[in-house]
Amino acid sequence: MKLNFRILTIVLLILSSISNITGQDKKQNYGKATDEIFPYQKFQKAYVYHFLVPLQFYGAGRELKPPSDLKEVRIGFLGPLEGSVIVSLGKQMLNGATLAIEEANKKGGYHNMPFKLMIHNDVGAWGAAANEVVKMDDEKVWAWLGSIDDIVSHVAIRATLKVEIPMVCTGDPDPTFTETNIPWVIRVISDDRQSSYALVNQIYKKDSHSRVAVIRANNRYGRVGIKIFSETATRVGHPIVIEEKFNDGETDFKTQVERILVTVPDAILIWGNAKESALILKQIRAIGLKQPVYGSDRMVSPEFLKIAGNLADGIITTCQYNPNAENPKLKAFQTNFFKRFGQEPDVFAAHAYDGMNIITESIQKAGLNRVLIRDLLTDLKTFQGYQGITGKKVFDDTWNDIGDIWMAEVHNGKFKFNPSPPMGTIHQTTKTGSY
Amino acid sequence: MTKTFRKISFRAAVAVVLCGIYSVAVINSQPSAEKSAANVHSKDDAKPMPVYGHWKNFTTKDGLPSDHAYCVRIDGNRVLVGTHEGLSVYEDGKWKTYTIKDGLAHNGVVSIDVSELTGDVWIGTLGGLNRWSAGKFETFSQLNSGLPNDLVYCVICDGKDVWTATAGGAGHYDTYTKAWEIFTEKNAPMHEPWTYGVSAGDGKIFIAAWGGGVIEYTTKTKKFKDYTDPDGEMEIDLLPDDGLVHDITTATSYADGILWVSTYFGMSRYDGSHWKGYFDHDSGLASNFINFIRAKGPVVFICSDKGLSSTDGKSWVTYKKNDNNNDGMAIIKNFGRNDDNTINKTTKEIPLSPSIAHNFIIGVDADKDVLWVATEKGVSRGELMK
Repeated sequence: MKLNFRILTIVLLILSSISNITGQDKKQNYGKATDEIFPYQKFQKAYVYHFLVPLQFYGAGRELKPPSDLKEVRIGFLGPLEGSVIVSLGKQMLNGATLAIEEANKKGGYHNMPFKLMIHNDVGAWGAAANEVVKMDDEKVWAWLGSIDDIVSHVAIRATLKVEIPMVCTGDPDPTFTETNIPWVIRVISDDRQSSYALVNQIYKKDSHSRVAVIRANNRYGRVGIKIFSETATRVGHPIVIEEKFNDGETDFKTQVERILVTVPDAILIWGNAKESALILKQIRAIGLKQPVYGSDRMVSPEFLKIAGNLADGIITTCQYNPNAENPKLKAFQTNFFKRFGQEPDVFAAHAYDGMNIITESIQKAGLNRVLIRDLLTDLKTFQGYQGITGKKVFDDTWNDIGDIWMAEVHNGKFKFNPSPPMGTIHQTTKTGSY
Repeated sequence: MTKTFRKISFRAAVAVVLCGIYSVAVINSQPSAEKSAANVHSKDDAKPMPVYGHWKNFTTKDGLPSDHAYCVRIDGNRVLVGTHEGLSVYEDGKWKTYTIKDGLAHNGVVSIDVSELTGDVWIGTLGGLNRWSAGKFETFSQLNSGLPNDLVYCVICDGKDVWTATAGGAGHYDTYTKAWEIFTEKNAPMHEPWTYGVSAGDGKIFIAAWGGGVIEYTTKTKKFKDYTDPDGEMEIDLLPDDGLVHDITTATSYADGILWVSTYFGMSRYDGSHWKGYFDHDSGLASNFINFIRAKGPVVFICSDKGLSSTDGKSWVTYKKNDNNNDGMAIIKNFGRNDDNTINKTTKEIPLSPSIAHNFIIGVDADKDVLWVATEKGVSRGELMK
């Protein structure tokens, strides 16, 4: 009988090993997701897992020499500078990139040739970004930095793959951006997947809410951002109770807020730009809803604090870095930025500064060859653990920054920043009473 | 029965049950490639897969304006090649190049098709669409026409109609009425209007909507239908053969009643009823990163970043160049495709000297006994081996 049991155990072990032969072996979850929140993981092993190994670029071009008559080293910039609702963010991004270029040129540029920023405007219209990337190819830029808008960035990466220019994204947090398997792109800002995980952890596990209403921008930033939050909330056992939408520029949210009211939520999440988020907060409070309000990263803005006033106190959002960190490099950047542009830098300026420094450093090390610059940016060695003013850069196998997310809470009209605990470290205790 | 014996029996019974449950789960959740593949039958099982050899490669040394070739199209006795620096035409053993100076909308020529009705050549560039007719280039742009966007990733001719896949949606141009239609997320089942590939067949247009799967448009009824990855997740393919392998599609090609769809995550085949997925780990596919595909009869040619593969759904032939010299090989694989459902994993390698110009393949076209390939480092011409 003992023998039979041993045989059965051996059979079980053999069957267990067969499962790894027929399917793809998975070493870790993509996106730092725990098993609890990874798609289908509770029910089914997937046939194929993507993004666990960095894609290599097997194309040609590493042997190409730069032109001998160069007078400047061109780097492209694509951002919302005119005709967009996020022009203020685009200008911050441009200023951050400009400061990095100016500092690099003060140090001698590239072999005494100055870096020159080739500035392109994106208007957020479908397809326009592709035309700008083609123009950058015509201008013979060696790499480029941009953008913020999800649509623009997505259109641009396809074009950048076609014309083969390395791209460093410092402003678009759309998770699907680096899930396109394009080996010419890195992202130097944490994405909405990480923000969503942090918010789920905060809202459901740390603060023990269970009925969360969502109101989000009716654009790709809102749609894709909330998708990850919603799926993750469902996987931890708390599907969102309602998802309301609003358009950019909208000022009256009465209909959406009244709909939220009838669902009796115990917390509300706003996902949108600063202005609309502040107005929504005011109207939420005006109708009598006293529930805790959480928000997306774009709330971390002076504009939000100004419009929301005292009502902002207690709001918790995510932020991709800690602007109050005791980091001498960050302090110097903030001082120099204010001196140069007469304004405080925001999250887009800070990440653009880091991103542009990474570009110039990669050019210094790789030389003037797009493929070699790409190789360096994506080797997961040269810039892995890069200490920027926005913190340590941790790239996954899609070259997405999965570094720390910070929780930003408003106290006395100012944001206070604390690191978010990683998923799975907080265990839900008891549900707090609902309002 | 002693207490110990009862304990052992109970454990054994539990183990047996667990074994049974586990093996059923494994079989159900992960059907092996061989098991699934055995159900794939091409229309013409009798024809062997064509193998091409006697390769001749062309670069700037031979007259091309750039080694970086995006696309190739065979047009009777001449061959049209789109490069990063212009359009090159190979005729009577010589190359002739056309650029913006000759009327091209942009020197970056990324797609070419030839109208069977008129013989006009339609050229998709990085900066607009050209019709090359009677020696003249006519330019269609997003400013002077209904072209959705100037970056024309793909152009095809379907009778009197011309279809484009652009960075701002799919465009349809009726050459008789000179009217344009634009298809985006506003009037078609696309998530977003970034389209990348388009093909036609049996009265249908198949648009590769990058991030939105495949949009099928029936020209007679003007109705749309979309095909997406059933699991809806970017980071996994949950089940094999359940639909498109991924939503980020790069090209479609339709021939012999079969729709082939390429992605950067593998390839799919649809016979109108069943989907079949192919990955580099369970088929003869050179790589999951596929730039372009073109089906000719029962065979599809697959342009990947690690070589040119071809298959009829049963057998595979992959052309690869050696890293250190100009030689290479044709790798022939039969991967679980025996008609009697037995597993076959035979591999045969045929040395090629020289081989294709480069393993990063972007375009391909086949006609009768000739295969032309556009690579990142030149253009290659292969002949059917008898």
